[in-house]
Amino acid sequence: MPKRRDILAIVLIVLPWTLLITVWHQSAIAPLFAIRKVCHHLVKEILIIPERLTIHRQRLADDGTETRHDTGPATDSKEYCSQDKDIVEVVRTEYVYTRPPPWSDVLPTIHVITPTYSRPVQKAELTRLANTFLHVPNLHWILVEDSQRRTPLVTRLLRETGLNYTHLNVETPRNYKLRGDTRDPRIPRGTMQRNLALRWLRETFNSNSSQAGIVYFADDDNTYSLELFEEMRSTRKVSVWPVAFVGGLRYESPKVNAAGKVYGWKTVFDPHRPFAIDMAGFAINLRLILFKPQAYFKLRGVKGGYQESSLLRELVTLSDLEPKAANCTKILVWHTRTEKPVLVNEGKKGFTDPNVEI
Amino acid sequence: MRMRLKLKTVFVLYFTVSLLGLIYALMQLGQRCDCRDHDMSKDQQISQLRGELQKLQEHIKTSELSKKTDVPRIYVITPTYARLVQKAELTRLSHTFLHVPQLHWIVVEDAPQPTPLVTDFLAASGLTYTHLYKLTPKDRKLQEGDPSWLKPRGAEQRNEGLRWLREMGAAAKGKEAAALEEAVVYFADDDNTYSLQLFEEMRYTYRVSVWPVGLVGGMKFERPVVEDGKVVRFHTGWRPNRPFPIDMAGFAVSLRLVLTNPQARFDGDAQMGFLESSFLQHLVTLDDLEPKADLCTKVLVWHTRTEKPKMKREDALQKQGLGSDPDVEV
Repeated sequence: MPKRRDILAIVLIVLPWTLLITVWHQSAIAPLFAIRKVCHHLVKEILIIPERLTIHRQRLADDGTETRHDTGPATDSKEYCSQDKDIVEVVRTEYVYTRPPPWSDVLPTIHVITPTYSRPVQKAELTRLANTFLHVPNLHWILVEDSQRRTPLVTRLLRETGLNYTHLNVETPRNYKLRGDTRDPRIPRGTMQRNLALRWLRETFNSNSSQAGIVYFADDDNTYSLELFEEMRSTRKVSVWPVAFVGGLRYESPKVNAAGKVYGWKTVFDPHRPFAIDMAGFAINLRLILFKPQAYFKLRGVKGGYQESSLLRELVTLSDLEPKAANCTKILVWHTRTEKPVLVNEGKKGFTDPNVEI
Repeated sequence: MRMRLKLKTVFVLYFTVSLLGLIYALMQLGQRCDCRDHDMSKDQQISQLRGELQKLQEHIKTSELSKKTDVPRIYVITPTYARLVQKAELTRLSHTFLHVPQLHWIVVEDAPQPTPLVTDFLAASGLTYTHLYKLTPKDRKLQEGDPSWLKPRGAEQRNEGLRWLREMGAAAKGKEAAALEEAVVYFADDDNTYSLQLFEEMRYTYRVSVWPVGLVGGMKFERPVVEDGKVVRFHTGWRPNRPFPIDMAGFAVSLRLVLTNPQARFDGDAQMGFLESSFLQHLVTLDDLEPKADLCTKVLVWHTRTEKPKMKREDALQKQGLGSDPDVEV
């Protein structure tokens, strides 16, 4: 007797919930949410009006009076999407502060792979990096976060720059981040992220496509001159150039002979590495990356300073290297590092409003 | 007996609650179902928005963004000094400034005469610039090994920038003088990071405008506290009792105010952290400050600092006479 009652009880408990769930699924809610999202997105896009247009309008309206202009912040797109309004005249606008150069069909695309991770200076570093990239035509920024999922900070930043970008993420496992034993040293930072970007490139482009591309690994704290990108655009296989502030020197550079071929490395730190060069000192033609789909950065068992070699030795030999920057005599990239900011006054509980993004 | 009763009531309660919930949900869904027409108009809205978007994008392509001449000019004063990372810092700073219309860069070197590095760099930068120089007297200069906060830096150079502006302001006539009426002066150190939005926020400054600065004062950010559209105090963890506890990167002054107050300058002998106050207290009171950046709630500038690169191997090589080629400019 009690058994049947129990079963009855269970059925009666479960029934309303299953009904609810099935009805919910069949309802119009899912498409409605999709519409909402699209609506929000489009309104935001439209409100991006060049400053000149709005200022022009304001000037015409003001008759040149000396008032303080409120160059306004973003408008709330909820106004338009939640209610049944017609699209009214836009009064406050969200500005696009600049745009990248127009896309050319002739120039090879430079795919810049940047691994990044959350820390206080992240937004600042990515901001000034974006300000540099906005000057480079045909640049495709592949930003790979070291995180479990893509953070809103980076998502928003990338969208607001107006650059052509791809946003990826992969989290370096905790135990790899910490220092392990001597048999299993930690993975150099950014390796998994760079490998993911390489895999994405291989999945997105097939070797038969005529899309000319160059792959460059750019860390988010270095400094790049604009000339550098034009030097690397003509890479046929792998091109190299000097990098400042690496290896404890003013700069490290490849040794170039009179015939314009690389025959060695002008470094103090282990110049006998197969490729004694910093990550910022070389660029690879996309065709080569696609042609050798097994070439990746080695994850484990890599001695300090050999990370670049672990990839390059699978792609090219020393004699194939193309020296750039006036036969490797000019410095076009600096391996700057940003100081960790002192945050003592935050204290244990945090002095500043945690909702403000920095 | 007792247990059975309890279970029964619990069960009945649960059943009624879930039934009510289901009915409520169904009613909600019913409402949404009515909005089928709502959906149609939403679709219309979306296609309308798409059309607008296309129109505007076309407009963007045709309009000339770069040659804006009808906006107030921003004079940026940057003190700089020779060190390894100088060229790198100036390079990435110039990349930011190239995006800002009507920006005039005043670079003041801490040197007895202009250096070729900065001269050549500025000439190739593509920016509108003025190249000045002013050597800091030895007793005010930081010595090797001194911590960076020991003496205020850049005071003489910023004053030199102000002097040049005043000289130019006095000589300007007609249209040029009218343009200077609306111009703004900003002090930008060469190692900070500036977003492009910041310059648009400061462009329309009547007296002195202020905003938050990130990564400064030992905190994530320092900011002026705004109530009813006015600055009432400053939120900072370090010496908040200064007249203006704000970083050099956190304010901009209208050129008009600079020109009408010829005695306002930075005091090179000021106490640590009082450099900004020594300048601002002659110009404005707390009441007159104009809060920007969404009433000082957004961080648009960061007080980043660049590490000094390690040169141990270079130094060792130099001792052996095998240092890197000094002709290669770094």
